[in-house]
Amino acid sequence: MRNMTRVLIAAAALGGTLAAATGAGLAASHPDLKWTAIFDATGPAGAYGTSQKNATELAQADIDAGKIDAGGQKISIDVQDSATSPAQVINIMQSAFGSGTSLIIGPTLSSEAFKSDPLAVKANISVLGVSNTASGIPAMGPCVFRNSLSEAQIVPDVIEAAKKAWHVKTAAIIYGDDDQFTKADYTIFNAELPKAGVKVVDVETFHKGDVDFKAQLTKIKEAKPDVVVYGALYAEGAKLLAQARQVGLNAHEIGGNGFNSPQIIALAGKAAQGVIVGAAWYSGAETNGNAAFVKNYTAKYAKSPDQFAAQAYAGAQIAAAAVKKSHPSDAAGMCSALKELGSVQTVIGPFKFASTRDADAHGFIVQIKNGTFAKFGD
Amino acid sequence: MFDQQLANGIFLGAVYALFAVGYTLIFGVLDILNLAHSAIFMASSFVALALVRHGMPFWAAFLVATAFGGALSVVLDRVAFAPLRARGVGGGALGPLISSIAFGIIVVSVVRGIFGPDEVGYPTGAVLSANLHLGHATFTAIDLSVLVISLVMMILLSMLLKVTPLGRAIRAVAENTKAASLLGIDVERTIGLTFLIAGALGAAAGILIGAQFNAVGILMGQRIELKGLAVIILGGMGSIPGAVLGGFLLGLLEVFSVAYLSSSYRDAIAFAVMFLILIVRPAGLLGKRAARTA
Repeated sequence: MRNMTRVLIAAAALGGTLAAATGAGLAASHPDLKWTAIFDATGPAGAYGTSQKNATELAQADIDAGKIDAGGQKISIDVQDSATSPAQVINIMQSAFGSGTSLIIGPTLSSEAFKSDPLAVKANISVLGVSNTASGIPAMGPCVFRNSLSEAQIVPDVIEAAKKAWHVKTAAIIYGDDDQFTKADYTIFNAELPKAGVKVVDVETFHKGDVDFKAQLTKIKEAKPDVVVYGALYAEGAKLLAQARQVGLNAHEIGGNGFNSPQIIALAGKAAQGVIVGAAWYSGAETNGNAAFVKNYTAKYAKSPDQFAAQAYAGAQIAAAAVKKSHPSDAAGMCSALKELGSVQTVIGPFKFASTRDADAHGFIVQIKNGTFAKFGD
Repeated sequence: MFDQQLANGIFLGAVYALFAVGYTLIFGVLDILNLAHSAIFMASSFVALALVRHGMPFWAAFLVATAFGGALSVVLDRVAFAPLRARGVGGGALGPLISSIAFGIIVVSVVRGIFGPDEVGYPTGAVLSANLHLGHATFTAIDLSVLVISLVMMILLSMLLKVTPLGRAIRAVAENTKAASLLGIDVERTIGLTFLIAGALGAAAGILIGAQFNAVGILMGQRIELKGLAVIILGGMGSIPGAVLGGFLLGLLEVFSVAYLSSSYRDAIAFAVMFLILIVRPAGLLGKRAARTA
């Protein structure tokens, strides 16, 4: 009997060792986890998508080198260019579903996400938006997440800061009315300004690709607002700022989300001085690993990262942290891993998902000063 | 406000006029719809910007890039149009239209490959950006340059077409290539020269407009192309002064729609008025009604 017990103990020990060995073997031979990043590297949103593509490629290198800790799991991110075309986003997504992807990162624009994310929801693949700011993105499905702050999370703080610093009582808004991204700026500012006691005295619009805004700006000048709010992508935004100076518009200025790009400073030059922007990130932010990220990105791509790059990089950090914590092996596991993530340190600051799968984080209010984004009020 | 908006309208009109002058030479005069014109407009703007960034003064870069635009336009003719002409496919057919689109896409892709997708601007101080004042209106020196150059180009081009042997040859080729050939005109050379001039004009427009708004980007040609086409038809096919007049009219219509009506309906209002003008004058403002019958 005693011998029998010994044999049983030995067998159990051997079995345990074997199981552990097999387990370790499984972990070691775990196939690469595949993610697909879909960004508009070309087309009208090309500057944003290029930043995201660059940052994601940098994140891939950092995952491979262990600088972003995914718990030893190998991850391969397939970065694809959707060329600012919702149809191309859908095509890429559908072929990714067939190739075993467990996470879609992107797409760049909210307008694209509204068309493509429902397909991922149907295919039970998780989506992590890293730049979608319109309301209702995570509400599309139980595995749709985002790390980008929505406009609604940032705008009230920006208005409060402007009121405090500049004592604004009246405002004018000019926005691109043919783009969901810029129209969201209008919708939110137009709703939030009156709530903060600021009267909207004029609203003007333009179309994507316009180059001459002097007619609208002259009209705004006549309305004598204390502050002008620009709902524009950087290409139009830079021209708006330059032409506002030309027509002698001297109001304070707030930029919408599209102004969160060094391109606005590069293109508008001195005309960008003094504009305040609500941002999820800025290059001087004293967040965990940010200085190294800015340094490495600048060294690799010979230009500074923008908010889009930082959010894309943070997206990879967040997803890698989820992998480290929960060891998912498929799309369903990836969804649960993101849900169970908890708090994680990223280049955009401490981050966690709210129960709505939206970002539960705070933005920064920054001002363009001497050709760079600086914390407003400093 | 009226003074400033009037100035805004005139200067915006000058932009449309400047683009339309080169466009109308191929489309309005030779009756070839060249959809690669906007790509030459854009590519030359990038060439000028690159030269300025390498230290060349703006106006010297302007001349070099204008010559580049003219040369590229000749290449366009040789590659996209001449082979089809040799096979007897006329300007009104779809083949040349498609091959011009293809050439345009190739140019855009190459420029994007070299310069990237970002919209870029001139270095500070490289372009005349001083503010000038007239009455209550404010505008920049480059605004004024665009206005003056578009008017000068209109006059020179009209004279070229009317009084020079080349102008007569261009008009003869536009009328009937076979008859022109029988009269001893070298049709291929004439078309080549027309492309050279149109390309140089398109390049000049692209460089100046890029400098005026301090924004040189891949999409700058596509943005203005449709309006340029509308301006040519509004002004009257084949009429150089008509193209300029059409440009100013569109500029003023757009600006006053914003100033006194609504910026959201700017294009709808401007194009509705153009639509009404074309109902009253189907041949355009200065176009001659086609009198010939078969």
